[in-house]
Amino acid sequence: MVELVPTLLRQELARLAEDDQRLDGREQWEGRDVSLEIDCLYNAEGSAKVVMGKTIVYAGVKFELRTPWPDRPTQGSLMCGAELRPVAHRKYEPGPPSPQSIELGRVVDRGIRESGCIDMESLCIVPGEKVWGVMIDIHVLSDGGNIFDACGLAAIAALRTAIVPAERFDVGEDYKLKVNGTPIMASFTRVGGRYIYDPSEEEELGGDERIHITLGDEGHLHSLQKGLRGVFTPAEFAEIFEVAHQRCGDLRTLVANQEGN
Amino acid sequence: MGGYGDVQLLRDDGLRLDGRKLDEMRPVSIEAGILPAADGSAMVTHGLNVAVAAVYGPMEAHPRKIQRQDRAVIDVRYNMAPFSTGDRIRPGYNRRSREISKVTAEALESVVLVERYPRSKIRVEIEILAAEAGTRCAGITAAAVALADAGIPMRDLIVGVASGKVEDTVVLDLDKAEDNYGQADLPVGILPNTGEIAFLQMDGDLSPDEYNLAMEYNFKAAAEIHEIMVDALKRRYEGGEN
Repeated sequence: MVELVPTLLRQELARLAEDDQRLDGREQWEGRDVSLEIDCLYNAEGSAKVVMGKTIVYAGVKFELRTPWPDRPTQGSLMCGAELRPVAHRKYEPGPPSPQSIELGRVVDRGIRESGCIDMESLCIVPGEKVWGVMIDIHVLSDGGNIFDACGLAAIAALRTAIVPAERFDVGEDYKLKVNGTPIMASFTRVGGRYIYDPSEEEELGGDERIHITLGDEGHLHSLQKGLRGVFTPAEFAEIFEVAHQRCGDLRTLVANQEGN
Repeated sequence: MGGYGDVQLLRDDGLRLDGRKLDEMRPVSIEAGILPAADGSAMVTHGLNVAVAAVYGPMEAHPRKIQRQDRAVIDVRYNMAPFSTGDRIRPGYNRRSREISKVTAEALESVVLVERYPRSKIRVEIEILAAEAGTRCAGITAAAVALADAGIPMRDLIVGVASGKVEDTVVLDLDKAEDNYGQADLPVGILPNTGEIAFLQMDGDLSPDEYNLAMEYNFKAAAEIHEIMVDALKRRYEGGEN
């Protein structure tokens, strides 16, 4: 199925691209409507749900007490993982984590980690003995295209709502996790020869390489990833970087608005 | 069952800790058709439990060795999200989820008209997003609604419900504390129209009379949940919200 369909789909996408059109009627740099819900999961210390078109993603934050790495006795740790379980699409098979889900989790992880929004020193309880391990788990429930952006948004939104469960672990009173910033990802796929923002499922199926850009509050780059077969020029990157800047700003505002409610 | 005896689970006024009567279940709400990528889907909120089920198929059964020449096989995966419980669960299959998946599949094969789809496979994915005792039952209910939503012919729906015993008293629909410190748990899958039972597990200690009362509670709850299931499917297909 996955190999047969794209031939016709590719032709159609190429034809549309010549007229500067997309299959679902969007503009080249237009994203789908995004809905964000925060604090929506009982039992998770922080949580978020993101719906982007047919894509639905949940993220949940859990904490655990652990001993720090010997070379960083005063630092806690952050881990972000994604699961592409068979619930999300008929193309996903059960089994150990696939290369795609590992790539997804690691790209989201880098964007959050490298933005420095979590001060690892603040996760220390007793130097050399006891620190917090923060785990963000991303659960994709429906893959309708561009799960990278949905996962990135769900992960940071969940992290920003997290309450450190100190009472349950007998190490003081619960408090809100301090998160300095809202790193946001923007993803682009080459479809019909040109890049588009926020690919749908069909555009991913009939498209080529993809580029993921995570930007911090100041517009600095925190993670980049090129995936799949294909090449791009510096001029193409310059163009999508401009778009990423705007779209990330929009989504950061969405997070802030949800938190304000 | 966990340890018992030292935790009070019934209040002095005879009600349970969360204020429920002995034969009162937690609130249940159901939504059908919530996952756009799936052929059928449902979300069941049962108390604080949240179970999502997706159905894919009927599709080609592979690996080939699982094929049956005269019927479809139902491939169920029950999985708890890492953030669904108090302490994080390591992602991946474990013995508990394997067992629940197996008996759930067998229960669903008892109601789906599997002989209509020889040599094929119907995939049922159950994801628990929040767990507070009773996830396998919420999962079965969600799977039944998702199968119906996918348009797969069935003899009847299945409703997952459980009763149990706390402080020597039979109660309907155990919550977390009652499950942890209670004396018995009796989860069943009931066919609401025929009154048959397709799923049965039990652990703990029940006298024959207690078993009968627990089953009576289960049938009463199944009738209530059945109405909510039918309502969810009607809303989906009568041009409701979805």
